[in-house]
Amino acid sequence: MVKVGSKKVRLLGILALVVVMFLGWNILSYGQNVYVVGTSADYPPFEWVDGNGNYVGFDMDVIRSIAILEGIKINIKDIGFDALVPALKSGKIDIIAADMTITAERAKVVSYSEPYWASDFDILVRKGSNLNVVTALSQGHKVGAQTGTTQADFLDNLKKSGINVQIKLYETNDLAIMDLLAGRIDTFIGDSPVSRAFAKSHPDKLVDIGVIHTGENAGFAVKKGDPKGILPLIKDGLSKLHSTGIWDNLVKAYFTGNLDKITTSYAKCKHYFKSGDPVSYAAALASSMTEK
Amino acid sequence: MVFNAHLNLILKSLPFLLKGMVVTLELTFAFLSIGLVVGIFLALGQVYGRRSISLLISAFERIFRAIPALVLLFLFYFGAAQFGFNLSAFAASCLALGLRSAAYQSQIFRGAIQSIDIGQIMAARAIGMTQFKAAIYIVLPQALRLSIAPWSNEYAVVLKDTSLCYAIGVTEMMRQGRYIVARTFGNALLIYVVVAILYFILVIIGTRLLNLLERKFRIPGYEAKEKGEMVERML
Repeated sequence: MVKVGSKKVRLLGILALVVVMFLGWNILSYGQNVYVVGTSADYPPFEWVDGNGNYVGFDMDVIRSIAILEGIKINIKDIGFDALVPALKSGKIDIIAADMTITAERAKVVSYSEPYWASDFDILVRKGSNLNVVTALSQGHKVGAQTGTTQADFLDNLKKSGINVQIKLYETNDLAIMDLLAGRIDTFIGDSPVSRAFAKSHPDKLVDIGVIHTGENAGFAVKKGDPKGILPLIKDGLSKLHSTGIWDNLVKAYFTGNLDKITTSYAKCKHYFKSGDPVSYAAALASSMTEK
Repeated sequence: MVFNAHLNLILKSLPFLLKGMVVTLELTFAFLSIGLVVGIFLALGQVYGRRSISLLISAFERIFRAIPALVLLFLFYFGAAQFGFNLSAFAASCLALGLRSAAYQSQIFRGAIQSIDIGQIMAARAIGMTQFKAAIYIVLPQALRLSIAPWSNEYAVVLKDTSLCYAIGVTEMMRQGRYIVARTFGNALLIYVVVAILYFILVIIGTRLLNLLERKFRIPGYEAKEKGEMVERML
């Protein structure tokens, strides 16, 4: 009896030791010399997790590109959206990259970068059509937008308030643009950066006739007061993204095609990130998206 | 075919869900181990310890049983960081829910320990064992055997509670399911039903195994389940 008992005690002791080592290893392996980027990877096309467990999405590529251009190291971490601000405040993460809308309330507890994504809508029509912002969205004109977006909600509310508009919703923005070019719809409405990218890529066929301001902008967030000095890096990085053409290519890649296509393109192109070349990466991603 | 598309999605999703299941099992194992080790000591302290110790343990146990699991997770993950303890999400989960399980398990073991006849301790003391030795060598082996049945209930509860850890960013089965729902644009019902079935299977298998364990350690005739068996032996 005594022998059996002592064996059990020893077993318990070993179990306790294993548990302690297990925890200790977990705590020690939590590195601190890189910037930790928190996101909520359930919001495509801004951020999601592909079939291989990679964090993909527009925000992810923007922050990766900024990191390379500014020579800093980042580590992306997935946390639920609700938990992002508490995680930032308690120092679990250094940057939030999650298409987070800048609100006065949030700005009280975090510091924001300049807005990088406008949730305003830009309205596109074919060149030569004499529609303006008002007529393009009334008089029974056919308006296209991507399904499930704030633009789709906006059109829905328009129609409910009695304005005569025909809504056509598409799975992806590029399908709507194809129908606009083909004359099957009269107007396209999308997130400002998306609309502008389409207008830029079809300068002789499409024209941007105006903006509808929602007043909502997304920004990267850092700890209140930016104690680590991250915001200047983000500002500088964003301006570099625009001047090198990375920005336009990323917008084109992420807001035109469907997710499967984006995922395969990402897998094909991500080696450019490893070799530290975000310019070639964005160009390759955009061109890979247009391949059939 | 809609059905084929659904089947296809399930087959495509399974590897990710299984990957999440590994983390779920890791969490379950960690919680139960911490709970077992700490819980046994808590129970022994509560029953045999000095009054101050047993009061302290009671307070610990009350606190951990009274606070919701999600609140504990947030306290350990975010709260501890304010005091300079920067735990990873996994470690914070282990501490929060492991200690919570310890509080619950301590009550299982306390009940089992107290169900062992006090006469046995007296007998052990009479042949020269110390109180400590009597508790460890005489009472505990019997109490542990009695604890297996309620413990399998604790296993089921803890396993299901691991799904809460996704709230602080542990990529376990629930979170993997969330990823799939996000990237396939709303197959919420289908994916979560699969997740539910996987949890169900884990609980059933685990409790079955613990049932077998309970039978293996049962002493025939001593803690006889069937009354008839006992009567037969007495005759």
